Amino acid sequence: MKMLLKRLSPFAPDHSGAVSVLFELGGLIVICDAGGCTGNICGFDEPRWFTSKCALFSAALRDMDAILGRDEHLVRKTAAALEDTGSEFSALISTPVPAVIATDFKALKRMTERRTGKPVLAISAAGTGLYDSGAETAYLELMQVFAIETLPVEQGRAGVLGVTPLDFSRIDAGTVVAESFRKNGWKDVYCYGMGAGLETIRTASAAEKNFVVSPSGLAAAEYLKKTFGTPYEVCCPYLPETLEKELGSLTGKKVLVIHQQFAGNEIRKLVGKNVIVSSFFRMEKEWMEPGDIQFSGEEAFLEHFANEKYDAVIGDPKFKHLVAHAAERFIPFCHFAVSGQLEEGQTI
Amino acid sequence: MGKSAYYITARELAALGREHIPSELISASHLIYSSPATLAFNSPGAQGFGVKRAGLAVPGSVMLLVAPRCCGRNTSALGNDSAYADRFFYLLLDDTDIVTGRHLMRIPEAVKEVCASCETFPSAVMICITCVDALLGTDMDRVCRKASAAADVPVVPCYMYALTREGRVPPMTSVRKSVYSLLEKQPRKTDSVNLLGYFSPLRDDSELYTLLRQGGIKQIREISRCADYAEYQKMSEANFNIVLNPEARYAALDIEKRLEIPFIELTRIYQIEKIRNQYRLLSQAAGLNFDDAPFFAEAENAVQTCLKEHGSLRFSIGEWSNCDPFELSLALLRYGFKVNEIFGTIGSGNFVYVKRIAELSPETRIYSNLSPSMISYKETEKPDFVIGQDAMYYHPDSPGLRWNGEAQPFGYSGVTALFREISETLKGRDAK
Repeated sequence: MKMLLKRLSPFAPDHSGAVSVLFELGGLIVICDAGGCTGNICGFDEPRWFTSKCALFSAALRDMDAILGRDEHLVRKTAAALEDTGSEFSALISTPVPAVIATDFKALKRMTERRTGKPVLAISAAGTGLYDSGAETAYLELMQVFAIETLPVEQGRAGVLGVTPLDFSRIDAGTVVAESFRKNGWKDVYCYGMGAGLETIRTASAAEKNFVVSPSGLAAAEYLKKTFGTPYEVCCPYLPETLEKELGSLTGKKVLVIHQQFAGNEIRKLVGKNVIVSSFFRMEKEWMEPGDIQFSGEEAFLEHFANEKYDAVIGDPKFKHLVAHAAERFIPFCHFAVSGQLEEGQTI
Repeated sequence: MGKSAYYITARELAALGREHIPSELISASHLIYSSPATLAFNSPGAQGFGVKRAGLAVPGSVMLLVAPRCCGRNTSALGNDSAYADRFFYLLLDDTDIVTGRHLMRIPEAVKEVCASCETFPSAVMICITCVDALLGTDMDRVCRKASAAADVPVVPCYMYALTREGRVPPMTSVRKSVYSLLEKQPRKTDSVNLLGYFSPLRDDSELYTLLRQGGIKQIREISRCADYAEYQKMSEANFNIVLNPEARYAALDIEKRLEIPFIELTRIYQIEKIRNQYRLLSQAAGLNFDDAPFFAEAENAVQTCLKEHGSLRFSIGEWSNCDPFELSLALLRYGFKVNEIFGTIGSGNFVYVKRIAELSPETRIYSNLSPSMISYKETEKPDFVIGQDAMYYHPDSPGLRWNGEAQPFGYSGVTALFREISETLKGRDAK
């Protein structure tokens, strides 16, 4: 049955993706839920939460809030928390509850802005989508709200979109990805949301070029291109060292990668055209090769491996037991959005 | 950062009275701060038992979570535990489902498919539903009956309605009713008793087992100790139930109504005089004769030894622990210790302790973990000892005990174990 998971467990949802983009930016993050979604995001999908402080709150919605649609109550609570925390902005992130009762997030944003006098990001995420769609909305909203001034372009400055722990399975992903770009000659590298603060987003128009390292960053890169003329390039310069070591032995073999699309494409760049890239997450047509696969769910995934054999499958360890019969070798490549596991050597 | 963390002294709070608890201490009146200290509140299943793990207390059962993907995300972690591997299944809802409720039509087929995929046919399928179905007003009993008929297996609803957590029947109360709902009526046995309340057993050293046996009880059953479904079914032969946690009262009432098994309530407390009173009342009500004096003496000795060895320690007490932090604080004060601060949720049930605390230690500071201002919490005074995982988060450098293990402390043995562990922790620290 489609949408039935018997062997896998659910992947990181949209609102976790949104939080992963906003976590380090110093805003007041309000998850518009009854509490459980906040617990899931913090306790499972946000590894930085255990080691650093963030003004992350649950709206603590109760049945009467949902029945009566008490938006004013939420605005009041948000304004009070903003006073407590002194945050520069607030972000209202949706969950299944507002989705079911059809909360008007644009109106909520206007009401909160009026009450607090500070910028508000409103991020629609029903909890039914995947993390990349929530991250995409968060990047776009951030740029639209804060990157408004056209500044002179600074040569050697690069902006990076799409770096989150959910994609890169590291709590220091911003550092290692930025370092990869610096090795390629870029002087000032800012991974928005990971290692680079709100000020770098405000001055995003000064970037000479933007790089998109996972599909969630594309919409914001397009926006920056349209608004400021900043060109962008899709690539993924960072792969774990242990994985890179394995790639040499795969030349000419039939290989399938299951990960986020741009990481898969990077592996193909290094190994050769024999690599097929697949994902449960967003696959952008423009960056797909013939034969690449987007799995629609567990059923399609199991069916694929019932009919295909590979010399090697590269993917999150969670997939290992499901593909063992169809792969000569399984090469682990952690994807936090799948298993909630960090790369080897990374601890919370 | 904005304001400093809000607190109120015991004296101030007692003076205000239970009708005028400040809004800063009432979770519904503000946003809820999410820090590692509040994880147990926001996500009861992240550690310990939430609805999903609790629902699987029925031996041999499996769970089908019917929800948007976000609701099942943290269950991935439970899947790594061998006791739960292969017991969780998910029917994910999309945008159309959460508005139209069309997913309900798919549940019987999904239950059939789940049962067919299990190596051993499950004893029951627990269907966990979430806020979405709460808002849709789903008649889950009806859906479960249809699924049960389709798959020929008992199907039971578990309501993970976070929206109702401060309502009359919060999720953790409701799930207790669910897990006992499969018990079928049978003749009662006078020497058989059930302990209701927790999803993990009492500590093996609990005197409650000994006292009940002294009183002539031969079978003491807890759901977590039932090896299989047949043994679980024997719980309905009990002469009476003992409710150890108020969250199980609703389930006990249901059992009383359906199976005519009455119940008695005991409370987990750390004041040994009160424990003695409680056992005296149990003895009278159930007509059991037992001698609790040796256990009383052992607990008293553990308290006095700790006091003698370490003096009048200054404590910080949290609520993410196997205690009511206000009751434990009162117990500590009565034993001669000091309590600097309490992190807890005050309500009508435990306000009575605040009045007593105010008499003994008026300047004890009371915080709510959930208050937005807790983001600015700063340690102003280092406690000598910390109890509770939340309190340990605020005082990472002080010696402490999480005191939130799964084996449940209860009665005198709980007091004995707590004070012995405090002494051992402090000795271990001194030795370093």
